[in-house]
Amino acid sequence: MTLSTTRPGARERDPAAAARRRALIVLLALLCLLPLAVNNYVQFVVNTMLVYCLVAVGFNVVLGYLGQLAFANAAFFGIGAYAAGLSMVHWGVSGPVGIALGGAAGAVLGFVVGLPALRVKGYYLAIATLAVGELMRWVYVHNDAITFGPGGFSLPELRLLGMTLDETLKYYVFLFVVTLAIAATSLLLRSRFGRAFVAIRNNERAAASLGIDGRRMKILAFVWSGMIVGLGGALFALLNGRVSPDTFGLSQLLMHFAIVMVGGLGSLAGSVIGAVLLTAAPEVFRNLPGLEEIVFSLMLILVIFFMPKGVGGLLSDAFPLLRERLYRRP
Amino acid sequence: MFMQLIASGIAVGSVYALVALGMTVLFRSTTVVNFAHGEFFMLGAFSVLVALQLFGWSYGAALLFAVAALFVVGIAIERGLMRPLQHAPHVSLAMMTVALSFLLRGVARFFYGREVIALPPILEGEPLMLGDVVLLPQDLLIIGFSFLVVLGFYWFFQKTRTGKVVQVASQTPRGALLVGIDVPRLRNVMWGVGAAMGAIAGILIAPSTLVYPDMGGHMLIRGFAAMTLGGFGSLSGAIVGGLALGVLENVIGGYVSSAMVEITAYLVILLVLIARPQGLLGEWRQGRA
Repeated sequence: MTLSTTRPGARERDPAAAARRRALIVLLALLCLLPLAVNNYVQFVVNTMLVYCLVAVGFNVVLGYLGQLAFANAAFFGIGAYAAGLSMVHWGVSGPVGIALGGAAGAVLGFVVGLPALRVKGYYLAIATLAVGELMRWVYVHNDAITFGPGGFSLPELRLLGMTLDETLKYYVFLFVVTLAIAATSLLLRSRFGRAFVAIRNNERAAASLGIDGRRMKILAFVWSGMIVGLGGALFALLNGRVSPDTFGLSQLLMHFAIVMVGGLGSLAGSVIGAVLLTAAPEVFRNLPGLEEIVFSLMLILVIFFMPKGVGGLLSDAFPLLRERLYRRP
Repeated sequence: MFMQLIASGIAVGSVYALVALGMTVLFRSTTVVNFAHGEFFMLGAFSVLVALQLFGWSYGAALLFAVAALFVVGIAIERGLMRPLQHAPHVSLAMMTVALSFLLRGVARFFYGREVIALPPILEGEPLMLGDVVLLPQDLLIIGFSFLVVLGFYWFFQKTRTGKVVQVASQTPRGALLVGIDVPRLRNVMWGVGAAMGAIAGILIAPSTLVYPDMGGHMLIRGFAAMTLGGFGSLSGAIVGGLALGVLENVIGGYVSSAMVEITAYLVILLVLIARPQGLLGEWRQGRA
């Protein structure tokens, strides 16, 4: 049985939930103070982690909760970055509007990718969505007039409330967006929609027999996933100040997949942990060519062998505080 | 012009067919979709390079070395990384091949950085004229060799006892175990064969393209497209799909736009999955996630 039988009102009396909420508030307060303790480079790495938190959380909605092997995540990421960047360059919109547009573009692409997911499953869906991602990349490369072609483009200097957007300020903007997005996702997943996703994941026919509209729920999950990852893409564009098409290829996708798997399917906390680990570890070996990939792959192999539920699963077994009730591996 | 496009398409398509065939053989015998197949392809080309430049061997010896090396790599991977996971869910297996792809690419990059290296052609000589169709000796070699490999596989699967055993074991692994077939050992060998097939494709195409650590991703997608077009999991489908994809790429490149060559494979994947998910020759089964 995967679904929690606790009624919504019961949450208030659950001591673990209260403790978890207190822990989250402390964590958030600590995160707000973080820029005081780190230098510019570390701040950049932390900002990158925040971006990948969104990527992993969004991917997990489709991969972990809905249980669909859809590999269009790099495409969502790319379209978010392009939508945010291009709207700033061509229309001169401000940063926050750009971020919102990135999320919106991701949601639209999510809808489009959701359509084949109604028809094909498993590896077929994986390959179809992989193709969507590469098609998007081709579109960026071959529409020079709008997307500036294979070389990509640089974002204009960013300002927020009259201040130049430096790493620290970016951090607060990112932290705000990421906190909001993860909180919203967590609420969605605990609502009847999230429970419907998990029901579909476990058994599509049984879910249908309970009156769950599989088609509508799948589209919803894809749109949501596209939006969250699109937001991540928009932040990624702001983070680097540059957008170029080859960033959003197969290796980007495989990295997203790895983060979700390391963190654990169906665990939001795991996704965050995965993003932190897999962004930080290769950074240490950045100067040695190839070692980045080797370290990355060894971490993956370790997780696959020894933590089949991912780091998130391992932690929630050890600390009841971290347990997310919605999802259990069958 | 049309015949020329078809001829060059067949040359490229035979390599796609080999890639797709390698992936299909592995998929059929282990039910693993191998995301690291592109890296086998890349390693094949690099092994030739190492044998030629570092060991100073002749081309023939280098080719044999590369195929043998990848066979051993495939076997080692199965034994060390895949066999412990044989009862794990499919997504873990897919994940392991993704990890493997990173690992192999990392190893290549560790030694060669972001270098892009050209290999000399295996066969040199005057281009061959057939009417107004020009064929390079290299193209002929690719076509001829692929044909031989395909013929070999056909013979192996249809005519030999071992080939039939492999087919049976992939249809019902449990049943095969019950009648005394050593399924793990079979899987082990098939990983070696799959890796060697990837290597052969890499060796054949390396002289006409370039050798670099990231060369595999491009070919992986072509392999998927060929498999999808021919029918996922069908051996003859992989060959037909590969050849059709090569020809299609060339014809579209020649008559529509050369920029379209890169996305032909993706369009093929999407169109086939929407219109005829079972592909040209496959039977339709919903995949196991």
